[in-house]
Amino acid sequence: MLKMENIAKVYRTDVVETHALKEFSLEVNEGDFVAVTGPSGSGKTTFLNIAGLLETYSAGRYFLDGNDVSGISDAARSRVRNEKIGFIFQGFNLIPDLSLFDNVDVPLRYRGFSSKERKQRIEQSLDTVGLSNRMRHLPAQLSGGQQQRVAIARALAGSPRFLLADEPTGNLDSKMANSVMTLLQEINQQGTTIVMVTHDPGLAAQAKRNIHVRDGQVSELHEVNTEHTRDVVNG
Amino acid sequence: MMSYYLRLAFISMRRNPVLSSLMVLAIALGIGACMTTITVNYLMSNNPIKHKSDVLFHVQLDNWGPFEAAVDPNDPPYQLTWTDATNLQQAQQGIRQAAMAKSGGVVEPADPNIKPFQAGYRLTYSDFFSMFDVPFLYGSAWDKQADENARHLVVLTKEINETLFGGKNSVGQSVTLSGEVFTIVGVIAEWHPIPKFYDLNNDDFGRPSELFIPLQLKRTMKLPSWGNVNCWKSPDEEGFEGFLNSECVNFQFWVELDNPAERSDYALFLDNYVNSQKELGRFPRPLNNRLNNVQQWLEYNEVVADDAQIMMWLSLMFLAVCLLNTIGLMLSKFMGKSSEIGLRRAVGATKGDLFIQHTVETACIGVAGGLLGLGFSFFGLQGLRALYGEFAHKLTSLDMNMAILAVVIALVSTILAGLYPTWRACSIAPASQLKSQ
Repeated sequence: MLKMENIAKVYRTDVVETHALKEFSLEVNEGDFVAVTGPSGSGKTTFLNIAGLLETYSAGRYFLDGNDVSGISDAARSRVRNEKIGFIFQGFNLIPDLSLFDNVDVPLRYRGFSSKERKQRIEQSLDTVGLSNRMRHLPAQLSGGQQQRVAIARALAGSPRFLLADEPTGNLDSKMANSVMTLLQEINQQGTTIVMVTHDPGLAAQAKRNIHVRDGQVSELHEVNTEHTRDVVNG
Repeated sequence: MMSYYLRLAFISMRRNPVLSSLMVLAIALGIGACMTTITVNYLMSNNPIKHKSDVLFHVQLDNWGPFEAAVDPNDPPYQLTWTDATNLQQAQQGIRQAAMAKSGGVVEPADPNIKPFQAGYRLTYSDFFSMFDVPFLYGSAWDKQADENARHLVVLTKEINETLFGGKNSVGQSVTLSGEVFTIVGVIAEWHPIPKFYDLNNDDFGRPSELFIPLQLKRTMKLPSWGNVNCWKSPDEEGFEGFLNSECVNFQFWVELDNPAERSDYALFLDNYVNSQKELGRFPRPLNNRLNNVQQWLEYNEVVADDAQIMMWLSLMFLAVCLLNTIGLMLSKFMGKSSEIGLRRAVGATKGDLFIQHTVETACIGVAGGLLGLGFSFFGLQGLRALYGEFAHKLTSLDMNMAILAVVIALVSTILAGLYPTWRACSIAPASQLKSQ
């Protein structure tokens, strides 16, 4: 599903060169729910941005759904993001002037669906997150947890193959965080692959697999459900 | 998708009403100033008889003195003498031709309730009306016999017919001009050529003379010479006949020639005529005749005033300054939407999608600025009218062409101004914005 081989990402300025990822290798299988943990600055978000084709990388190869996406054009990357990937951000990233319906509609607009199909998908995904009765509300009229549910509905509306979540519960209290986490687990059980970056070991423990990133490399992998730990790849 | 982009544009404008209003206002001010001066220039440079511009020719003959040209560096005088104007008229070498001059006098209405008033006369020949396609409301022009016999016939403008007869059909009625009774043969409809191409000596943008009468009445009624009179030497004889026989110029002459061959023939005729006059001791200068069609004549006379052109260029520069301000405001507005742009990129919008979205928004601002600018131009032109009065009256009307031009200029210039902010918006790296919200 997602396979990275020796990915490197270097940020360069006039005076300094920062290696955000070094020989980063990882494979995520279909139906996985992977939690990525690690200290601040370890490269978790850089990994997620590269996985979501939001950033390019300096070296290595990246296969998504079996296709090498290393050298594809900017427009092709947009198409892949639109069709295969759903994003959930810590800050929800909802557009404040648009209703929930229109927020969920955003990725569908770039997909070329008919208005009938868009409407159907929006209603279905808002129903999945339990907000179908508030479609015409603005984001500001919702609580943080509800806003994150809208963001999840937006990510789901296009039926992506996998979801990338960057600290999806980082701005929520524990009750709301658990409810969002439960929702993500349900989505995963329905077959969507999820990669989630988090600081919270409790939430990470609810994923099927844990990946720990340190200094831009995968330092360890845990199979949470089998409680089996193995040393890794980059060892 | 276009309706979606339009909706997003209106939402975006509503989101920052102050910033959006400032942009619209900046564009409107620039467009308003531009359109005010462009309209004045456009009307000044208008060719009022485009469809016949190539077949109507203004005649100049160089009857000036041997030592100095009438117009520097070596141009003939703008007008003709009575002798030459009437000789060319009698020669009838064109399809139509009309000598003419400006005069004036007191009009005494038949109705005792209307006070006598002074009015301008256009002394001319009957061909004037057909040559210049003058439209008639009532009646028609006088005939050629009336030209030859200097009959007391008059054609009124619509305005003076309103004054004298309340706008009714006055053909066959009488009116007293300069103490002599005239019969009205026609009333012309609205006819205000701008500029007044057939006589550019004074008041290029003024109204046509209010009464048209046969030119030969100049001699029989000893009508005064209005407009410009220029002489390179004093008349040889005293009195009115002395003036008519002198080298003083006060008469215009227009001829209609349908094709280049006729024009060449007419030019040859003029050369022959001047040579024949030389034998009579006139025309001391070398042959220097001119035949200018309407457009050439307007350009030769530099009808568009220099200061009007300077004002137009200044206003265009002002528009450029307004657009620079708009660029700054737009940049600030689009950069304020960075997180939304980042999100749209993340969920699948290409740079092209975002470029179109923001160009549509820019275009909406441009159209709004253009429409408001049109309002400003209207007030600007009203201001000019208030400042310059009758002179500016005909130069300060916004027509449909100008209205469309205003919106098109606003649209194109705003889209151009928006290119840089739009490009910057499209270049936002999505990853840099998504974490920061």
